[in-house]
Amino acid sequence: MKDSEVLVLEEPSLTLADQFYLPQVMFGLGTTMKHMLRVVVQGKHRVIQYPEERREDLKVEDGGINPSTYRGVHRLNKDEDGRVKCVACFMCSTACPAKCIHIEAAESPWADREKYPQKFDIDELRCIYCGMCEEACPVDAIELTSVYDIVGLTRQEMVFDKSKLLRIYDQTAKNEPM
Amino acid sequence: MPDVTLWNRFVNLLDAHPWILITFIAHFAILGAVAYLILLERWTASWVQDRLGPNRVGLGFGILPILKDMHMFGLGQPLADGMKFLLKEDYRSKAVDTVLFTLAPMMMITVVILSIAVLPWGGIKQSTRDLDLVASTSAETAPQTPDKLEEKINAYLPSDASNVTHNERVETHQDADGVWRQHLISTVTYRYNFQTASLNIGVLFVLAALSLAVYGVVIGGWASNNKYSFLGALRATANMISYEIPLGLAILCIVLIYGTLNLEDIVNKQAHYWWHFIPAWNIFSQPITFILFLICMHAEANRAPFDTAEAEQELVGGYHTEYSSMRFALFFLGEYAGMITTSVVCVALFFGGWHFPFVDSIVCWLVNAIASGMHWNIAPAFVDATNPAVTNSLVVCVVRALVFFVKSLVIVFVFMWVRWSLPRFRFDQIMNLAWRALIPISLGLLMVTAIVVFLMGGAAGQNQYLPISTAFVLLLSNGALVAITMVISTLIPPGPDTNRKILVPGSRFLTAPAAGGVAIAPSVN
Repeated sequence: MKDSEVLVLEEPSLTLADQFYLPQVMFGLGTTMKHMLRVVVQGKHRVIQYPEERREDLKVEDGGINPSTYRGVHRLNKDEDGRVKCVACFMCSTACPAKCIHIEAAESPWADREKYPQKFDIDELRCIYCGMCEEACPVDAIELTSVYDIVGLTRQEMVFDKSKLLRIYDQTAKNEPM
Repeated sequence: MPDVTLWNRFVNLLDAHPWILITFIAHFAILGAVAYLILLERWTASWVQDRLGPNRVGLGFGILPILKDMHMFGLGQPLADGMKFLLKEDYRSKAVDTVLFTLAPMMMITVVILSIAVLPWGGIKQSTRDLDLVASTSAETAPQTPDKLEEKINAYLPSDASNVTHNERVETHQDADGVWRQHLISTVTYRYNFQTASLNIGVLFVLAALSLAVYGVVIGGWASNNKYSFLGALRATANMISYEIPLGLAILCIVLIYGTLNLEDIVNKQAHYWWHFIPAWNIFSQPITFILFLICMHAEANRAPFDTAEAEQELVGGYHTEYSSMRFALFFLGEYAGMITTSVVCVALFFGGWHFPFVDSIVCWLVNAIASGMHWNIAPAFVDATNPAVTNSLVVCVVRALVFFVKSLVIVFVFMWVRWSLPRFRFDQIMNLAWRALIPISLGLLMVTAIVVFLMGGAAGQNQYLPISTAFVLLLSNGALVAITMVISTLIPPGPDTNRKILVPGSRFLTAPAAGGVAIAPSVN
């Protein structure tokens, strides 16, 4: 780094009110009092009272979520016949930066494709919900839904297998079509 | 026999031993309020930050069936917090000094409880009681007047009873054993202060007790055997010792006017009116003194913006880093109870204590009207025309105590409001503020007040209060002092630059002109 590249900033000089500090203190107290009155008197706050209020019920301007773009828990899509759409190409697990997708492929029982996933596990605790798998999927089989409040008592519970991921599709397919 | 209802018994007990009940109620009120102050603190914090704060924990704790699903604005939170503190593991590291480690939180809370004793809650109560002094042997013989009548009467009265007058009469009635006897009954009228202990050095006592709180902090920090704790304790010491000087000087300004260190006298003398409607509170005559006092109170309580002693970001909690469970809770209790006590003293010195315009008269009028069978046209009459602090109604005393408490809570709220508004000072800034600003200003204030009191006279006499002319001159002199301070402060040279930039060899900012010039070659190794 050269001298010419160094940006030297002048400290702004203090006004008389700044120097005596107390007027500025009063000003600051006024600001906080304004906020307090806004919450207490007008009831204007920035809190969503989860679980009574949920983000999906709110407008996006009010802190709600847009289900079409929200990146929540994954689902495995089904085709018209109710079969898993995945062709076990490993694109998602290759793209995954957190290495949380584990697929075991097997010979497909159906005529229209060669492989299908015998096992499809996603470790939801490792996942960083970046959506790379969704981007990488050539057949739109894996998608992120807007479900965000998943809980489990053990780590093992949070590894979602194929049946669970397909179940999430059944739950969310109505509100969030493919 | 007079009608002995429960209320009369209660009043009689209170008139005989006022300090017992007042002590109990004042202590439980203050120590109980602490729990809810913590809730208020969290609410204040969240309101300032546009949040709602704790509003979930009701009083059902998920167990009681009816209250189970009621949130009750989070009023159960303090109880839950208290439970948590009791049930947590009381962890203590091997390296601590066991005795001192145990002693420190105790000291912290003891000094606060000590200082509650002299707070004047409700002015002066005047009571009239019938004392059954001597009984004769039969209905025919007259009772013998005891030799030391006064001493005998005084034995029945509270220790600080004053203005005692007594009238004796003889009554004949049947005793419990069935014998009729003549009794010497003395009707005694006396006054006592509605507080635990009436000390004539009250102000000094509170100051002394509260400044002992620093021992709790220092001993706690030292006994923890932890660098952070020790640093926090050191900072707290420097902080408290520095700010006690302007605090004492600010109090002296008030003491000079009234010529007494007696806290209840100072309060009672503010219970007058200027022009029949402005209360004669010191805040109106000495606003700058009040501001100084308020600043010093914050520093004394070790709270933001003077909370370097427990600065979480630098010292992981300071002197109470090593404390957990109920020991930690005691530190907390001490801090908050200390806050209430200093607020009470602040209200007593500057806001007329229990006095609030016209509340006394209204309550007095209500009580008289109800006592006389709903005659609403009785004018409120004070017992003593020269001293409005005297009342003969217990209700008035209780209302006064409540008014006092509410006023103090407002000051406590100011503490919290300030804490969540202002950033923390650096340590050198705190010291600069005390020694270069507050102490000179408070010395100036003291001098100005002394001159005014010397020229115009204070309010030291019996039942005398500050005349409006003197108050006005004091107000003017306060303003003049601020103006003079502003002029002088522009003239005095700046202090040493304690936060100057130190040249670090190899720094890429080294050659920048702002950093002080000369380039130093980075050392090659």
